[in-house]
Amino acid sequence: MKGLRFLLSRAIQGLIVMFGVSLLVFFALFLTGDPAILMMAPDSTAAEIAAFREAMGFNDPIIVQYGRFLVEALQGDLGTSLRYSRPAMDLLADRLGATALLALSALLWSSLLGFLLGAVAAVRKNSPIDFAIRVISLLGQAVPVFWLALMLIILFSLNLRWLPSSGYGSFEQLIMPSLALGAYYLSAITRLVRSSLIETLGENYVRTARAKGLTEWRIVVRHALRNAMIPVVTLQGMYLASLMGGALVTEIIFAWPGIGRLAVEAIQNRDFPVVQAVVLFAALVFVVANFLVDVAYTWLNPRIRL
Amino acid sequence: MKSLPALALGLALAVPATVTFAQDDTLVIGRSASTNALDPGFLREAATVVDNIFDTMVMRDEDMNLVPGLATEWTSINDTTWEFTLREGVTFHNGEPFNADAVKFSLDRVLDPENNAPTISYIRTISSVEVVDPMTVRITTSAPDPLLPTRMSRYPAYIVPPQYIGENGREHFANNPVGTGAYRFVDFVPDERVTLEANPDYWRGAPDIGTVIWRPIPDATARITSLVTGEVQLIENVPVDLVPLLQQTPDADLVQVENGGLTIYLGLRMDKEPLDNVLVRRALNHAIDRESITQNLLGGLATPKGSQVGAADFGYLDVPVAEYDPELSRELLAEAGFPDGFEITMQSSFRYMKNAEVAQTIAQEFEDIGLTVNQETMEWSVYTQTVPFEGPIYMLGWGSTQTLDADAAVYAILKSGEPYSGASIPELDALLDESRSTVDPEARAEILEEIQELAADQVPLITLYQEDQLMGKSPNIEFEGRADARIPVFEITMD
Repeated sequence: MKGLRFLLSRAIQGLIVMFGVSLLVFFALFLTGDPAILMMAPDSTAAEIAAFREAMGFNDPIIVQYGRFLVEALQGDLGTSLRYSRPAMDLLADRLGATALLALSALLWSSLLGFLLGAVAAVRKNSPIDFAIRVISLLGQAVPVFWLALMLIILFSLNLRWLPSSGYGSFEQLIMPSLALGAYYLSAITRLVRSSLIETLGENYVRTARAKGLTEWRIVVRHALRNAMIPVVTLQGMYLASLMGGALVTEIIFAWPGIGRLAVEAIQNRDFPVVQAVVLFAALVFVVANFLVDVAYTWLNPRIRL
Repeated sequence: MKSLPALALGLALAVPATVTFAQDDTLVIGRSASTNALDPGFLREAATVVDNIFDTMVMRDEDMNLVPGLATEWTSINDTTWEFTLREGVTFHNGEPFNADAVKFSLDRVLDPENNAPTISYIRTISSVEVVDPMTVRITTSAPDPLLPTRMSRYPAYIVPPQYIGENGREHFANNPVGTGAYRFVDFVPDERVTLEANPDYWRGAPDIGTVIWRPIPDATARITSLVTGEVQLIENVPVDLVPLLQQTPDADLVQVENGGLTIYLGLRMDKEPLDNVLVRRALNHAIDRESITQNLLGGLATPKGSQVGAADFGYLDVPVAEYDPELSRELLAEAGFPDGFEITMQSSFRYMKNAEVAQTIAQEFEDIGLTVNQETMEWSVYTQTVPFEGPIYMLGWGSTQTLDADAAVYAILKSGEPYSGASIPELDALLDESRSTVDPEARAEILEEIQELAADQVPLITLYQEDQLMGKSPNIEFEGRADARIPVFEITMD
């Protein structure tokens, strides 16, 4: 009962967030100017621009436009892209696969390696190997993704000629974007696993386990890691959510046909419906991910019952 | 931030390639922008890809002369009527015959106000299209329009198949286009590629290159890398600062189309003080060292200009470039009643070659003659919302490479009241209107020249320079680039 009420209150909070986001994205875009001028050919007359504006419904009172937008959005219709002349939802759906592939692969390799490095660093705390891992993870977070991406291209495409420099479709084309994108998360996860594990390794139950004569690795894997995972899962949930909104820089540099690139081009061209669709989608993913993280918490640590 | 990767890329390029990718008769072209849709009547982007799928009645050859395309000849019957004789035996890729009905259908659907075609302005002078017989079309314009044949050589005047569109609808057509052109549509994956294959039955003969793949690669460094590694063989839009990289590698060549780009100018809001004063405008005009900007800042990849009209355009007048003379500028300012200068805002964006650096240099030169300049630099999509409403000085690029006629270079930015014009000179307006209603080419050329003379004297805007068009290609590709910025694969050959 308690759990159900908790989930319900979380769901309502999520709805409020989504409503707020829809308000923000709708009005913020309208405050910045007139899309009709940008959409028309440069030598259009003022009359032609006015006719276009009328046809697109840009002349109605803004509150009417917002009402229309909200009703249609609830029916799953986020409008038609001004540039592509296709439903914004379709454009988003087309690119979801590419973005999901990139996000999941980046998160997967960085999580696996991050857990390993983090655990090693925690167990060998203050040893040279811990020091090396800490330096590497510090660098991984400090290096901007566009720089790393270009360095990878220069090394693997230009000098070694092992990998294609951009594009989508083959496993080879996934490697560099995934590496560039995951480097940051690798560092973050390594650091978090390390500090979280060091903390749990000092807990009483770990001391008990040691007293029972269990090996150190058995203690780490069977007992401590599960508890150390709570903050890490939160982090991964948030990372996945933000990545599903599209990895802007990585997708642009590697010509990856994902949601981030769609968003950047829509913003540059003032393609309202597409910008709205991307932002609403990203917000929705965040709300859902938050929800799932809460569920995961309760599974990992039954003491967390709000 | 950008210089470090560029430097490293430079070092990497200096080492000659040891591996070359397999080549067959497939040409891969890297574009800077994504393709959105392929219906040539309703494009909101450059026609680069559809150029290869569709044909127009009138075409331009490599020297930019108007030559027969789907029409074999055209004549002006009277001031407002043009008759086009169509080419026999041409079929669309789906077997549908090309005829006068197709021409009427293609133009009518763009002209229909219900359809809200974004480029209707390019052919808005047409009042009706009449089928005389299956191979003859008459086009009537609302007023004399000397440019009609030129208008029939560019989008949205591509000829599309009526039956196919009638059966499948416009949305299907935009994603599965069928034309009469040198290449047939194969597939279109948004943000990934457009694939075309040679049309062996093309009326100009079968093309040399079998398959063309257009790939959007938005990042310039990534675009150049994929050219050097051989993943693509031709790229658009090489930024000026990356030109040296292309020049130092044996794996790629720079394609430089001189004067193939936009003409950059400073727009002036003539309705705002003190730009309503011609002396002030002249003072600003002489304060800019165009030679130094194009040579030192732009590496010689642009040419100083005295007229907005391109050298290859119909009606071009060789107006001398305004001399750099800050002393004269100061005198003119004093004469205009501003011996101590004034404060003014100059707006610019990041759209053109080294846009921000050029704007910075000009602002300094204006300060040298006593002005206080507030520079405003905006992101492009915001910039287009404010230009030319605020200013009072704003930097823009304008081009006539699509029509190669002076009209496109001057009308929209010099005629008062036009959306992109900050000018208001009644005498100039009268000439501009006259040029649009004069059909006789010689008389028209004279008027267009007068317009340029008047503009040089009254300085309704400050012409700076014309950019070159910069592309990159693999050494095994034969392509010089074209002044109209098109990439007709039919004209490209590959070893």
